[in-house]
Amino acid sequence: MPSEEAANRPDGVDRRTLLKAVAASLALAGLSGCKAEADETALPYVREPEGSTVGKARWYATGVVFEGLVQPVLGKTLAGRPIKLEGNPDHPVSGGATDAFTQAALLGLYDPARSQAPRRNGRPVTWDLFARAAGDLAAIFDRTAGRGLRLLTGPVSSPTMLAQIAAMMQRWPQARWHVSDPAGPAEWRRASRQLFGRVLDRQPAFDRAEIVVSFDGDFLGPGPRQVLNAAQFSQARRARRAGKGRFRLLVAEPAPSATGAVADRRLVSGPREIALLLTALADAVDTGGTPAATGLSKEQHDWLSDAVTALRAAGPRGLVIAGDYLPAAQQALATHSNHRLGNFGAAMEFTEAVLAVPPDGEESLSALVRDIDAGSVSALVMLDSNPAYAAPGDLDFARRLAGVKTTIHAGTQRDETAALCQWHLPLQHDLESWGDARALDGSATIQQPLVRPFHDVRAAAVVLAMLMGRDISDRALVEETWRKRWAKDFPDRWRKSLLRGRVEGTDAASVTPDLAGPPLRLDEKPPPGGLHLLIRPDAGIWDGRFSDNAWAQETPRPLSKITWGNVLSIGPGLAAERGLTSGDIGVLSVNGVSVSGPVWVVPGQHDGVVGATLGYGRRHENGLAAGLGYDAYPLRQAAGGGWQRDGARLEPADRRETIATTQPHQAMDGYDFVRTATLGSVAPVGRQAQDNPSFYPKAPLNDPSWGMTIDLDLCIGCNACVTACQAENNIPVVGRDLVAEGRVMHWLRIDHYHEGDIADPKRHFQPVPCMHCEDAPCEMGCPVNAAVHSIDGLNLQVYNRCIGTRTCSSYCPYKVRRFNWFDFTGSDPEPIRAMRNPEVTVRSRGVMEKCTYCVQRIAAARITADKEGKTIADGEVVTACQQACPTGAILFGNVADPASAVSRSKADPRNYSLLAEANTRPRTTYLARIADPAEGEGNG
Amino acid sequence: MHEPSADRSPFGLIAEFSAPEPLIEAVRRSRKEGYVSLDAYSPYPIEEMPDALGIAERTVPFLCLAGGLFGAVAGYGLQLYTSHAYPIAIGGRPLFAWQPALLITFELTVLFAVCFAIFGMLALNHLPRLHHPVFGVPDFHRASADRFFLVIFCNDPHFRVEETTSFLHSLKPLRVEAIQSTEEPE
Amino acid sequence: MSNADTAADARVTAEITRIPLHYPHPRNWWILFGLSLLLLGCFFVAAGVLFLNGIGMWGNNIPVNWGMAIANYVWFLGIGHAGTLISALLLITNAHWRNSLNRFAEAMTLFAVVCAGLYPILHLGRPWLFYWMAPYPNTMTLYPQFKSPLSWDFFAVLTYLTVSLLFWYIGIVPDLASVRDRAKTRRAQVFYGLAALGWRGSARHWARWQQAYRLTAAIAVPLVVSVHSEISLLFAAGPIPGWTSTVFPPYFVMGAAFSGFAVVLMIAVTLRHALSLGDLVTERHLDLLARFLLATGLMTAYGYVYEVFDALYGGEKQDVATLHDRLSGTYAYSYWGAVLFNFLPLQLLWFRTVRKRPAVLFLIATAVVVGMWFERYMLLVTALYRDYLVSSWGEYHPSVWEWLLFAGMIGVFLAPFLLFVRFLPVISAFEVKEALRETGDLSRA
Repeated sequence: MPSEEAANRPDGVDRRTLLKAVAASLALAGLSGCKAEADETALPYVREPEGSTVGKARWYATGVVFEGLVQPVLGKTLAGRPIKLEGNPDHPVSGGATDAFTQAALLGLYDPARSQAPRRNGRPVTWDLFARAAGDLAAIFDRTAGRGLRLLTGPVSSPTMLAQIAAMMQRWPQARWHVSDPAGPAEWRRASRQLFGRVLDRQPAFDRAEIVVSFDGDFLGPGPRQVLNAAQFSQARRARRAGKGRFRLLVAEPAPSATGAVADRRLVSGPREIALLLTALADAVDTGGTPAATGLSKEQHDWLSDAVTALRAAGPRGLVIAGDYLPAAQQALATHSNHRLGNFGAAMEFTEAVLAVPPDGEESLSALVRDIDAGSVSALVMLDSNPAYAAPGDLDFARRLAGVKTTIHAGTQRDETAALCQWHLPLQHDLESWGDARALDGSATIQQPLVRPFHDVRAAAVVLAMLMGRDISDRALVEETWRKRWAKDFPDRWRKSLLRGRVEGTDAASVTPDLAGPPLRLDEKPPPGGLHLLIRPDAGIWDGRFSDNAWAQETPRPLSKITWGNVLSIGPGLAAERGLTSGDIGVLSVNGVSVSGPVWVVPGQHDGVVGATLGYGRRHENGLAAGLGYDAYPLRQAAGGGWQRDGARLEPADRRETIATTQPHQAMDGYDFVRTATLGSVAPVGRQAQDNPSFYPKAPLNDPSWGMTIDLDLCIGCNACVTACQAENNIPVVGRDLVAEGRVMHWLRIDHYHEGDIADPKRHFQPVPCMHCEDAPCEMGCPVNAAVHSIDGLNLQVYNRCIGTRTCSSYCPYKVRRFNWFDFTGSDPEPIRAMRNPEVTVRSRGVMEKCTYCVQRIAAARITADKEGKTIADGEVVTACQQACPTGAILFGNVADPASAVSRSKADPRNYSLLAEANTRPRTTYLARIADPAEGEGNG
Repeated sequence: MHEPSADRSPFGLIAEFSAPEPLIEAVRRSRKEGYVSLDAYSPYPIEEMPDALGIAERTVPFLCLAGGLFGAVAGYGLQLYTSHAYPIAIGGRPLFAWQPALLITFELTVLFAVCFAIFGMLALNHLPRLHHPVFGVPDFHRASADRFFLVIFCNDPHFRVEETTSFLHSLKPLRVEAIQSTEEPE
Repeated sequence: MSNADTAADARVTAEITRIPLHYPHPRNWWILFGLSLLLLGCFFVAAGVLFLNGIGMWGNNIPVNWGMAIANYVWFLGIGHAGTLISALLLITNAHWRNSLNRFAEAMTLFAVVCAGLYPILHLGRPWLFYWMAPYPNTMTLYPQFKSPLSWDFFAVLTYLTVSLLFWYIGIVPDLASVRDRAKTRRAQVFYGLAALGWRGSARHWARWQQAYRLTAAIAVPLVVSVHSEISLLFAAGPIPGWTSTVFPPYFVMGAAFSGFAVVLMIAVTLRHALSLGDLVTERHLDLLARFLLATGLMTAYGYVYEVFDALYGGEKQDVATLHDRLSGTYAYSYWGAVLFNFLPLQLLWFRTVRKRPAVLFLIATAVVVGMWFERYMLLVTALYRDYLVSSWGEYHPSVWEWLLFAGMIGVFLAPFLLFVRFLPVISAFEVKEALRETGDLSRA
């Protein structure tokens, strides 16, 4: 009964009240850090006179580490406070774009729930105390050559850390280093060893591909490669549109993914079929014959022949992708096909592994557990990893931890592992640390702090040093590493690297391995009965490392639009068979282990599979994530990658749960919100705004006059724009319950539609910011002139005039306006205030807000232009969403200037306005998707 | 002709009737007799009375009209002025459009027309006036129930207490009485 | 001219003035008044909670920005239309039978409009700034946006409230005088004396009074029509499917009169019974009211038919979809509830025998009031919860605080109305007497 929900509304603001509550602890800490001093030894990205000018932003090139790899960023600081991260345009991996995780990293720095002081057995202590303890330990290990010492880290690429680890292992030969990487590409590494005898990194070059055939490979989905892949993908699509080549993307996948959504041709196929398809494809490519039809349905065979023909035609420009989550054997098989296509060194490149490989390789964690059981582990140091939560269920790490005499945990959060360890040491956030790490092309970035550490925290490298009895700063450590390498060139190269955010000449060596022998066979053992369970990292909080990040939590997952929780996704057929609807609680069990969570019916998902995501069901107190979702780790197995399990059972438990989704209805219902054009067609797509008659005089177009286009052929729904917008515009987080009530505050949302046959529908992403209509109904509705039109065509919302009649939103055909139902900002904890962008008004209770086209950026550009007595050049105003977008799908600029990029894209015949029939003449228009060029060419 | 001030004594002479018709008759006779400063009191408006008393006042309707005009001008003017005094582009519509402006214009027309009419009426009637000599007359309270009164005021040129009294008696009222002054002279 | 008339005059006067001076059934009145005070309490609680926390306490969301508050606003305002309509329209058409009804009908209007006026203010995000809707000189030299339907509504409601109040008050003054003249206690004399403004029934006063009264009546009729038309524009002026329809203004006005007459009928029956006014509010009055109810009801029904026709004839995908949502969507109950309660019992009114049964009339009127609430709710929510983009579809469920506020609003209406019944002449004595003189028959009066 919803009115009851409303009755105990206090729960409604639970997450926010929690944020507030945690703020108290910060008040205790006196928030010493939020004095926000810049680290004067860090070097701003853009050279400027010494000493910062008040109100003038400073930019630093640095990087935040994700999955052990650096995401190169430029950090914007105002008054010494980091307020925004942008991609580093000079870095090939970023090209100026970011993903949603990187955007959310900023909030991690200010997270009120961060661990702020060392603890021993849960009680706060000083670092000195730990230093002494570490000294004693070191003394013992010096005697025993480190017998019983184990170091467990997350994935590491940092030259400094690796040097330290090496030093440690050299000093204490008996010690051993292990890595816990719950979402790492373990299966690929196994495949790589199988194929090449050693670990290489795949470096597919989609921009050099003519045809990409992907088997459950969500390379455009979340992950450390997303930005680079997306950029290459968009290049390929642009080339195709420009008439250069006819790039196609074919996908076979059991469950819908971002990649599947943008694919030219998608095939729903369960894990078993994928194995069959891979084999058939390998044979066909190998023998040059047509694919065998054995065991394949007509539909599958069509898809396969289409793929094979295209691949053969493309040769080295053909690319076969097997997803990171597929079994090693299948990935190996796909690589074989690539080799046969001769695309090694062309569309498919290899480099030496960027992430360091621990002694026991992929078995690293299992090995550690074996040793603990054998009683040969007396001291376990866990750096920046959370095995007590994020280890495969069958390792039962939390229990085994009790068997270790000395346990030391270092992390930014007091997580499940911290709670079980004698020592917990708070780590610095990347944005307040000196450090180094390598990007996925292998090139190193020297991380420099945007701000002095807020709390009494240390960098991971410093903790390592302390363990070896050294008292040294993080900066000194990093300098040490590079001084060794650069010797006398150190000063300039150091300086250069800091300014550029990238260390020249550190790219991973590219190798073109040879592959002998015929394609290996996949063992044909028929899978046991029951459902096939697919476990994936969560698109919002990954393996759980972002679960205390409110932005990440509230970012709607690309396909389900679910926030603040995970679900068990099932196909429509299975749902019908089990009589389940979205929201029903289902109990999922795989031999003995079972979890229960709400099911979510996903059109286009194979009916033989159930999807589960990692990262939820957190057990640590004082976290945002407490009580959200279910924990999927118990379902994982250390062996075989732990991404899929056979013989799963799904039983309905007759309970329901409200799922906090921002888009309950995702079928397009035959409307033309997202339009599709044919490649090269010059006919306009469907009804156009200008077709409509209007009583009103056409307002003269002033110069400049701002407008936007969004290319739906390039959008991969990755949410980078959404989180970037949230960071740029101080958009409040409302929490699970309010999201469920339709009160999410995002100014920019990405609508997701499915169209056609529910068993295998077409999918579309459609980012929807404010349309900034010429004839805006919202402005007509407002009785107090709070919604008005600006001279340069913006649809402004004047917060301090707004009295909250909400007429504007009622009249808005696009429903892009957001209302402050409560006081969402007044009681924010101090650090959250410190994070706010001072150039954007913070909205109070009872006022309407919405996308402003980043009016503050427009103003900044105008001021600079006026000072220099010039007009604003094209590309000088970049909106936050546009800047973050990895595919460059969003274009913004002066529509009054026919030469501007946005004007040119509006001239594209694919250009159309959303809801032309509403006759609002929007400033934001869309470029239609392009249908598979092969459609209607027989092999469609 | 205005009523005398309340300190004159006697203030006037009052005759009580049991029905409207005799009152109307009485009023007609008195005016034929030449009396000009007189008034009638009844529990409800009597259709023939204004004509009998020779009231041809049209002030209230004119006030109403004036109010209406004022309201119209004010309403339309307000919108016209404000939309030019602080021009704001709204929804791509013309800065000022007469069509929607008419709505508020109409409302204000009505508002002021009614206010002028009603407050004008009260003002012309010198209301509120909480006391009046006639209230001093015994049984005058029945003027609001079922009795009808005729008053000839003392400031009438033909007013002579004796003659006027006998004249009133000749109208066959229930009774005739003198109205006492209720206030001290200034 | 016999004494019978004056005797009748005396009787009418006595019968009406006795009520404020010696109220017949104080006990029942106190019970009702206690109840209304309780509801009034609810109002203050609900409003307080709302002001402290914000609109979030309600069920409103994006897309359903407007909920019960606006639906009730329209509903109350609609009810508030009958009073002035009956009073003014029938006055200028010289329908004497109005005299037994107009007084309490006008009072009802007054308090209903007050409730209506409160709602839009309460529903604001920042209610303490509601006066920004009014044009007043300010340092920002910024004025309201007069193209907005809300500005129109602001002036419409303001005017309507003022006019209704003045019309009602100058109408009651002569009767206040007559109560004053019958009052025995000092307190009563002073109270009614002040309230009566010293009215003494002078012929010259009567003359001007009648001019003012009739002029106001004449102006009030088009006002009534304009007000609800403008309220309808609050919806019709938006581009939302299910709202943008030219039929809305007449549709709303008819619905308003319909619901208004229903409430007048309810009150008439109640007062007639409670204050035993059988010979003033006669069966004929009830019969006439019932006919009006039937007539306006059928006109409202036409609006329904036209709505469907409009959507199908226009054939815009969005409009048809909205129609479909109304007939079979999540809120279908509100549509069919409206149809059921509004028009089904109404058909009984074709029969004279039914029109003579106060109890039955009361029930039918109640049904209409409920039905019209459903209609307002349906018109508002069904258009918003599924507007253009399917991606922004969402449902709205009123929270307990909205229901509490609704209950409280009933109190805001009831409490002053009961005070009116208790302390002021509920029927226009002097007009009844006047009519008596002209028709010479009480039952025709």
